[in-house]
Amino acid sequence: MESTSTPERILRGIALTLVILFFMFPIFWIFMMSFQTNETILQIPPSLSFTPTLSNYMALITGKLTTAAGTLDIAFMGNLGNSVFLSTASVAVSLLLGVPAAYAFARHKFRGSEDIAFTLLSFRFAPPLLVLLPLTQYFQWLGLSDTYIGLIWVYQLICLPLILWIVRGYFEDISADVEYAYRIAGHSWFATFRKIALPLAGPGIAAAGLLAFIFAWNNFVFALVLASASKQPVTVGALAFVTSSGIQYGQIAAAIVLSIAPTLALALYAQRYLVEGLSLGAVKG
Amino acid sequence: MTTLQLQNITKRYKSQAVLDDLTLDVADGETLVLFGPSGAGKTVLLRLIAGVIEPDAGKIVIGGEDMTEVDAEHRGIGMAFQNFALFPHMNAFDNIASPLEANRSSAAGIREGVEKVAKLLKIDHVLSHRPKALSNGQKQRTALARALAGSPPVLLLDDPLRNVDAKLRFEMRLELPRLLAKQGATVIYVTQDYKEAMALGDRIAVMSQGRIRQIGTPEDIYNTPADIDIARLFGDPTINLLTVIPKKDASGVYVELSNVRVPLPSMPESVVGKECVLGLRPETIVFTEPSAQGAIPVTVEAETPLNEKTVTLLLTARGREILLSRPAGTPGPSSGPAAIAVNGAAAFLFDKESGARIATPATTTNRNGEAA
Amino acid sequence: MSDTALLIENVDKFYGPKGHGVHAVKNLSMNVRKGEIIALLGSSGCGKTSTLRMIAGFEPVSDGTISLAGRQVHLLPPVKRNVAMAFEGYSLYPPLTVRENIAFALKAKRLSQAEVDEKVAYIAKLLEIEDILGRYPSSISGGQQQRASLGRALIRDADLHLLDEPMGQLEPQLRALLRGRIKHYIKERGLTAILVTHDQTEANALADRIAVMEGGVLQQFDTPQKIKERPANLFTGTFVGEPPMNVFEASISGGNGSLSFGLNEGVKLDYQIAAFSPGVQAELTKRRKVVLGIRPYSVRRSADGVKARVAVNQWLGDQTHIAADFAGGTMVLVEHDRTRLAIGEDIGIHLDPSSLHVFDSETGRAISHGKELA
Repeated sequence: MESTSTPERILRGIALTLVILFFMFPIFWIFMMSFQTNETILQIPPSLSFTPTLSNYMALITGKLTTAAGTLDIAFMGNLGNSVFLSTASVAVSLLLGVPAAYAFARHKFRGSEDIAFTLLSFRFAPPLLVLLPLTQYFQWLGLSDTYIGLIWVYQLICLPLILWIVRGYFEDISADVEYAYRIAGHSWFATFRKIALPLAGPGIAAAGLLAFIFAWNNFVFALVLASASKQPVTVGALAFVTSSGIQYGQIAAAIVLSIAPTLALALYAQRYLVEGLSLGAVKG
Repeated sequence: MTTLQLQNITKRYKSQAVLDDLTLDVADGETLVLFGPSGAGKTVLLRLIAGVIEPDAGKIVIGGEDMTEVDAEHRGIGMAFQNFALFPHMNAFDNIASPLEANRSSAAGIREGVEKVAKLLKIDHVLSHRPKALSNGQKQRTALARALAGSPPVLLLDDPLRNVDAKLRFEMRLELPRLLAKQGATVIYVTQDYKEAMALGDRIAVMSQGRIRQIGTPEDIYNTPADIDIARLFGDPTINLLTVIPKKDASGVYVELSNVRVPLPSMPESVVGKECVLGLRPETIVFTEPSAQGAIPVTVEAETPLNEKTVTLLLTARGREILLSRPAGTPGPSSGPAAIAVNGAAAFLFDKESGARIATPATTTNRNGEAA
Repeated sequence: MSDTALLIENVDKFYGPKGHGVHAVKNLSMNVRKGEIIALLGSSGCGKTSTLRMIAGFEPVSDGTISLAGRQVHLLPPVKRNVAMAFEGYSLYPPLTVRENIAFALKAKRLSQAEVDEKVAYIAKLLEIEDILGRYPSSISGGQQQRASLGRALIRDADLHLLDEPMGQLEPQLRALLRGRIKHYIKERGLTAILVTHDQTEANALADRIAVMEGGVLQQFDTPQKIKERPANLFTGTFVGEPPMNVFEASISGGNGSLSFGLNEGVKLDYQIAAFSPGVQAELTKRRKVVLGIRPYSVRRSADGVKARVAVNQWLGDQTHIAADFAGGTMVLVEHDRTRLAIGEDIGIHLDPSSLHVFDSETGRAISHGKELA
């Protein structure tokens, strides 16, 4: 409990405003752009007064992009659906595999456990382009290229290390005594994992899942190479807006707004839960 | 009949032996206190018995059955942890109920069991609270209730009073023996507080560096400590230790303190001429008239009351420090020159080199010099 | 020159906005004489640490004044107050050895190296840290760090020495000896010291006077003897003293030259009314309900006493603690000899009128101690 003087409060307010402006301005600008036509966007100097139009959103939703050169078909809504499906499925698979693995790494130190954990993390070090070429080859042999299963598999390279390492830290923070106490009270190790470890690491698992979801959502390279138009997510789909008759800034802005909306909503929803969960505390005495 | 035997237990961490070939027998219904400094291996030993860690060598036998390979949940043990280790996401009721649930008792049976033990520990009014909302004392009682709830034949209590304040600790020290007697369990109690050890233990096992240094009743440990270290661990203020070389004349073995002859009637002659350490418990030293026979002149340095005693720090003519303690309210000087009398019959003599106490050949004598 | 070292007058401390913040210290006034050792005693949150921080200058006073050695200091920065302090968290400088840490306190005095060495050697011997003088704080135990931190504070000449929980981490085997040595050191040099502690044993051992605080209010400021024999209220009575005071609710009845305290389970303590002074008689007879406090060491056993049943008999080497079921509660007795009583044995409890502390059952204020009014 600190008592703060008035000038201190004012300074703090100014600093906070600057930070918020810095981070929020691009999003604000994109949001404004999504309601403008290409002409008003490209007008110099830029102006804040314009007649808002929903044409960008209409084009995305109907899938018909009208340019000076004619009408183009775009699969934006399909791409959005792909993004949702791919990210959700990848995170689900990662959680299913990663949480028990994280528990094992946190609680059972065996010979080489650190090495295995580190190897898993090292997947994140390699530049994706490096592994893409061999991966493409394998996928073609295995018939996995351009399938959802193949993409979800590759996405594990992104999600699994993240979930493993974050959740492991949360498991390690749970006092071993708390789990011992449950074991000694007469419960099996699996019951202990389910009733004690999982609920106590819950906020951490949620945070890791959210982060992995965002990373999966934002992925570009893997999907670009391994998926065709029908399976590709929004990140790749957005390329369609670079047309022969110019870049469709208005539609791009609208596409961005639509594609960050789900992650933003998820983050806002989870934030409440995360804060609540993290302040559960009291794990230690 | 639930006895507990540990046979030649060894446990190493990174090739360092935390427990070194340790053997221990606990009788049915006995309360055995494991006492020792931190790092002595007490907590590791408890965990081995509980079955949450495994020994590198040795056997754990509970109630005549070899339990070394048995999982923790099947050993029939209740345990209370020093840091309480309550389940933070469950309320006190569910915490206490956890051993009963494992027994697959009916809901009514669980409720009855929890309420009974909660009442015994006077926490029946906070059963719906989560650990976060409990006071320190209530947490400690909840942890104890959880350990007791399943009526386990063996109870392991890992310094359960460490993290509660002095008043609660005292209260629990008086309450625990009654609780444990009611439970009828075989108890291993770990503590670093010698008063707790003496108050609660039927026997005390003094541990250090992974071994048991001495095991015996509180009387054994206090009145016949095996060595200097153990003598120093029991008693507040700590025992006075003075380096001496015993001599002998016609009337027997004696030492000289500030050129005053202090007879050691029960000491063997073999100590004569050997460098020894004289151990004098502060409560065996008394103030006396300077003119009295055997009075040792001292200077009073400081007087520091200690609970219901008065502790005085004295300086001998040779500059050696001596602590004297006497019941509060009894007369005695608080500054300046004074004289003390030392009861040689109640003194210990330790071998300076090995630290071992030199056994008295006759009978063991207690601190008042009466034959026990 | 007055003999007042520290004068605290009407000091208040608020955290957060006045009115709806936390009122941590309430109208505190204290007078510490030169050469006195004072203990600020209380449980956590009682305001003792706030008081200490205001004296040291780490925290501004919200109201009131603090004077040290005759000059007002409450507006000065800590460095200008000439106060030496030992911190609860030790706060040793990690890159300096123990020797350098202790000598650092002498830097400002521009002493010769020989003088510094001599002073450090002296204090190190006193605190049993001679053999770790060359070590760094991170490589020594908590108890050793605490002793080093004490050394750094005690080596200084200052108008006031503030010691925050100075002995909490000390090795139990050293505690009694170091208490004696430190008390002697402070007294010999005529230093003025305030120690802040939650441990009443520590306060009793070292302090000339104890200031008991609770809820930001100074409850009692008196010698350990007085606090033991004449506690101002139930809080002080039960907080100071180990084992704690036995407490029983009682209803008063009387007549015919007698006065009785009725406890639970029909237990009655009967006394001649003449055993109490007229003032006490008047105060007691006009009340129905009081709280009785009896110190464990003043409980006597006698065959014709009130029946009680031994529940616990614990021998601690130099004392015996006995707990007996008495009047629906527990009566704790302390005896200095080895007492052997069987569990379940009946004993008689005798409570001399001089050992009774009577408290108001509503406010907890002391009404009488023994024969005399509080």
